[in-house]
Amino acid sequence: MKPFTYVRAEREERAIEITKNGGAQVIAGGTTLVDLMRIGVMQPTTVVDITGLPLDTIETLPDGGLRIGALARNQTVAYHAAVVQRFPVLSEAILAGASPQIRNMATTAGNLLQRTRCAYFRDGVSQCNKRAPGSGCAALDGYNRMHAVLGTSEQCIATHPSDMCVALAALDAVVHVRGAAARRAIRFADLHALPGKTPHIEHALAPDELITHVEVPASAFAARSHYVKVRDRSEFAFALASAAVAVALKGKTITEARIALGGVATKPWRALEAEAALVGKPAAPAAFQRAADLALAGAKPRAHNAFKIELARRVVVRALTEVVGGQR
Amino acid sequence: MMNLVCVGSAAPEVAVDGIEPTCDRPRVIAFIRDWSAERERGDDIAMMRAELRGLGAELLVLSQDTSWSFGPDDHIEKLGCDLAPAIARLADRFGVAAGGEAVFVIDHENIVRFVHRASAPLPRLVDALAAANEAMLTTRRENAVLFTRREWNITALVTGFAFVFLSACRAREKPQAPSPAPAPAPSAAEITIELHINGKTRALRVDPRTSLLDALREQLGLTGTKKGCDMGQCGACTVLANGERVLSCLTLAVMAQNKKLVTIEGLAQGETLHPMQQAFITHDGLQCGYCTPGQILSAVALLAEGHATTDAEVRTQMSGNLCRCGAQPNIVAAIQAVRRGGGR
Repeated sequence: MKPFTYVRAEREERAIEITKNGGAQVIAGGTTLVDLMRIGVMQPTTVVDITGLPLDTIETLPDGGLRIGALARNQTVAYHAAVVQRFPVLSEAILAGASPQIRNMATTAGNLLQRTRCAYFRDGVSQCNKRAPGSGCAALDGYNRMHAVLGTSEQCIATHPSDMCVALAALDAVVHVRGAAARRAIRFADLHALPGKTPHIEHALAPDELITHVEVPASAFAARSHYVKVRDRSEFAFALASAAVAVALKGKTITEARIALGGVATKPWRALEAEAALVGKPAAPAAFQRAADLALAGAKPRAHNAFKIELARRVVVRALTEVVGGQR
Repeated sequence: MMNLVCVGSAAPEVAVDGIEPTCDRPRVIAFIRDWSAERERGDDIAMMRAELRGLGAELLVLSQDTSWSFGPDDHIEKLGCDLAPAIARLADRFGVAAGGEAVFVIDHENIVRFVHRASAPLPRLVDALAAANEAMLTTRRENAVLFTRREWNITALVTGFAFVFLSACRAREKPQAPSPAPAPAPSAAEITIELHINGKTRALRVDPRTSLLDALREQLGLTGTKKGCDMGQCGACTVLANGERVLSCLTLAVMAQNKKLVTIEGLAQGETLHPMQQAFITHDGLQCGYCTPGQILSAVALLAEGHATTDAEVRTQMSGNLCRCGAQPNIVAAIQAVRRGGGR
């Protein structure tokens, strides 16, 4: 691990001021940063500890929405009564990820900004446009079984590893940030960047912007929501394919739908066409299959990950089937 | 003329007729007038065996009537009876006067790391450890012989265990810790922190990069917490922070300051094991034991969290602790026994 200066920020302004310097990184749970610093992939010169900031609350808003503090820990969010009852997909997604120990440490904002688990990114030596812009991408023709089939580019096919983010994408969450001059709100869909030609740019935050909280709006579909994740082992593994789904029903007809995919895309992936195709349709297998096909329509497999396309389709169908009360 | 065996010099050959080292270094050679493993408290012997096992060190106790070899493999051997000539030759090699007492710690490269000759009072084990740690923190850079923390700590621990023997056979003198060297100017890179561990507050100086795991093991001698993967994937380093299970390998020590930490060393109440520790024994919830401290702390937290009732739920909630020996069925049984209130 490269040496760094440790600073504990007692005020948000202080953290923002320090991170203006490009070599600084904010630390909270440390589950991503300490790991990546130890293997040399991240080498901040200053590490700003923000765990003393009062950003760890979870509030229910008057309209039924949720306001989750940046430092609220994953485990706390997952077991929060309002989350479990009114936003089940969020609780399920968080609990489908990592281990109890890691969830106890990891924070909401840290989960949003976690880095990919691509082995070529992490090994510190392979070509990787994320880690060393312009060096190439060893995954394109390497062992890319875990890699993305959606949102890829010729520069990067790394998956976004988060489960929680897939649920937040489905729930139309809004990320609130504070910079030196102003505060602003970022739609969840705009938070993460597609790799394109700049895989090293992963999100819309400026270096000195600090996530303060995430708002999850009240909606007609949040209460009927569900997360399905398929992985190589039953626990404590990253997704091969996952789906966060939410539907609002009138009788047996779908009036609103949300579908987001994980494990198959370079960012938490909203399947907007699939959602639109469900609206007005009866909640039945034919509609689910059509939605699944649309969700994966643009998928581009590489040598070892073509299986993810059919797997993700089936995950979508299963999640939709289960969320409307079908056989689990 | 006496040989000059001092810190930093190469150690003399240990093997003589009748005394054969059982392992390559590190080792402790203790010359003691009168001591017998048979008269020592069983608990002390057990503790020493466990520590020597962990350190991979051999302890050779050379006493008047009997001599003993404590191998790092848990093997205790009473050496042959007529060893007086062999011991005399070794004493000469190490520069110990006839009938004198001394302790030498020899590291893995055959360099003498610690010499204690019996003129100074011998502190108790805990005092020796504390003094050695203190000395490690304040004099490391100034020492002519450069130690890594790991080497120094092994030295401190091995030496500490040697002291147990010595204090057992020595007429009581007032214990007195060696006086620490003058404190050096604080290094810009290091930070003084306080950790609250197992009910005690410990001050130490750390590089900000130091993980809680390394601080526990390398600086505080709390080696019950294990380093498996050092990347958050195995759970062997699990400790409790404010009652919650966390991974000490992904926690910076400097960020653990305001939390009440519990390691495996802090679970038992005196001689009484925590019910979860006892249940792991009763249900044979381990084979090699390396993941066990993390498993036990994780299991203690699991019950406090209250999210698991069925075996399947216990397995899910224990997914952050890997056991490659395959003890999971017995681990689940142990946890379920404690959850149901039996504990045994």
